[in-house]
Amino acid sequence: MALIVAKSLEKSYGNVLAVDGLSLTLKEGSVTGLIGPNGAGKTTTIKMILGLLRPDRGNLEIFGQDPWDNSEIRALIGVVHEKPFFPSHQETLDYLERVCRIFGMPDSRAAEVLEMVNLEDARDRQIKALSAGMLQKFAIAHALIHRPRLVIADEMTSNLDPQARSSLLDIILQLHRDEKVTFLLSSHILPELSRVCDSVAIINRGRVWASGRLTELYEKYAAGMVRVSTDKPSELSAEIAKLPYVNKVESDIRGVSVKIQQENEEKLYGDAPKLAKKVNARILGIEAGSSSIEELYRLAVGEKRGGE
Amino acid sequence: MANRKGRPFLEIFALALKEDFRFPTFELFAFLFCVGTFVFANFGSTMFYSTSVTSNTAYNVTSSALSTVLFIFMILVFKNIAYGLGSDLEKGIVQTYLSYPLKRRSILSAKLLSALGVSLMLFLGVQILSLYILAPDVVIPQFGTVLLTYAASLCYPLLIAGIILLVTLILRRGGSALVLGIVLYFVLEIIQNLITPIATATQLSESGTLSLQIMSLFSPNFALARYYQFYGQTGIHVWVPTASGVIACIGAGYVIVASIFVVAYFYVSRRLSL
Repeated sequence: MALIVAKSLEKSYGNVLAVDGLSLTLKEGSVTGLIGPNGAGKTTTIKMILGLLRPDRGNLEIFGQDPWDNSEIRALIGVVHEKPFFPSHQETLDYLERVCRIFGMPDSRAAEVLEMVNLEDARDRQIKALSAGMLQKFAIAHALIHRPRLVIADEMTSNLDPQARSSLLDIILQLHRDEKVTFLLSSHILPELSRVCDSVAIINRGRVWASGRLTELYEKYAAGMVRVSTDKPSELSAEIAKLPYVNKVESDIRGVSVKIQQENEEKLYGDAPKLAKKVNARILGIEAGSSSIEELYRLAVGEKRGGE
Repeated sequence: MANRKGRPFLEIFALALKEDFRFPTFELFAFLFCVGTFVFANFGSTMFYSTSVTSNTAYNVTSSALSTVLFIFMILVFKNIAYGLGSDLEKGIVQTYLSYPLKRRSILSAKLLSALGVSLMLFLGVQILSLYILAPDVVIPQFGTVLLTYAASLCYPLLIAGIILLVTLILRRGGSALVLGIVLYFVLEIIQNLITPIATATQLSESGTLSLQIMSLFSPNFALARYYQFYGQTGIHVWVPTASGVIACIGAGYVIVASIFVVAYFYVSRRLSL
């Protein structure tokens, strides 16, 4: 069952077209990452899904209904905003207990979710006295309080330390596994998404450039990709680029990504060490395909731009 | 998940109340309302000039008790709307409320009930009780006149509160809305003070009468004041309304106020993007 169905959404702010014909489907039980550069239209899309903005054009259904001013579907969704704000003079536990009553949950659930995000020591603290990271954790607890079927989070790990990020990702995996919660996560931290997401939607310039299950996308965009890890990426990439069967080479600080026809993979495995020797570089590893969302994002966006 | 009807509204109302009347706001304004009523209530006409309590006496007593306290009430309401609702919109707290299972109009109602409703109850409660303690022989027999005076006097602050609400919703900046509201208040005050001498100077010209009537729609107390000021007096006065004319002005004034609030509700329900 599709929880979110967006068809040809458009939204502009004055003369700026933020979302331009965006179509997206989110299936129940999936953990989908919404990725894209700054200004790609991710937050605007999320705001339309949450009924905070009305699309100028297009059709949007959440749980089969229009999300605008729809209190019914709000009871099914947990939200973590990019910049979470709460009434600042309230105490954390007191506020969450109110939220429990709003959603018809027992008050004890408030302490439960605070414990879930390791904020049990801050239960009597005023919200304004929480640090940025604690406020983010509080926002996550707030989103999970009513056991939502769908959680939508915009940059939810942006203020968290590595340990808190890791434990949050564990919570997502656990909720997904045990309670079949569906997640739509927008983030810039792509390695994190690759840990929890089974699907992604790559958004750029207000459109979905590629979407689907990660395995299918890797197959589509990363076929013929070989990653050569080396200590001298720029020198080695210059040499590899000279090989006649190489279509495209990109280097970063850890290695070289090479796009070739799949049947030439074996050839590259033989040539790469020779070229490394020539430039006095050490090969640290060679692997076919791609396993990072970051790589996938670069490939998908690169291919689309190439096609335009 | 058992969702109890009305509970989300009450919780948002309780939150708004806690923020709007955070200590010592409630205590301070209750004190100022009390002090203002006791200090400014003028019983001169009752004690020395009148042999019996008339509606005119009741109007004079109520008006004198109202004068400064009404301004303090306006400060409280403007603060609650511009800074309470305005900062909630500006900071994104309304976005958080919009993740709860209640309609947009319910959120606005909860905020307004706290910002306006509770302020109004506090103001009227303190005022009427104080007047009752000070002059029970005026308030009890002329309670209708007392209420009519409050109805006429409150229309104008409510009108400006409605305009501040609309501006706050559209601009999403409480500070700008507050400044605009205060400027509007003083502009209307100046117009009110200038309009009578101008109308008198132009004598019975139609435009003079019309300007007084228009002003009475926005500020019905203007019509009520003229009614009591010139009631039963001989001579020529520029537009002295009848009792039914005053009632019509009060009714029309509240229709204008209600229209502004309806527009605000419509804007929040149909157009407000966050």
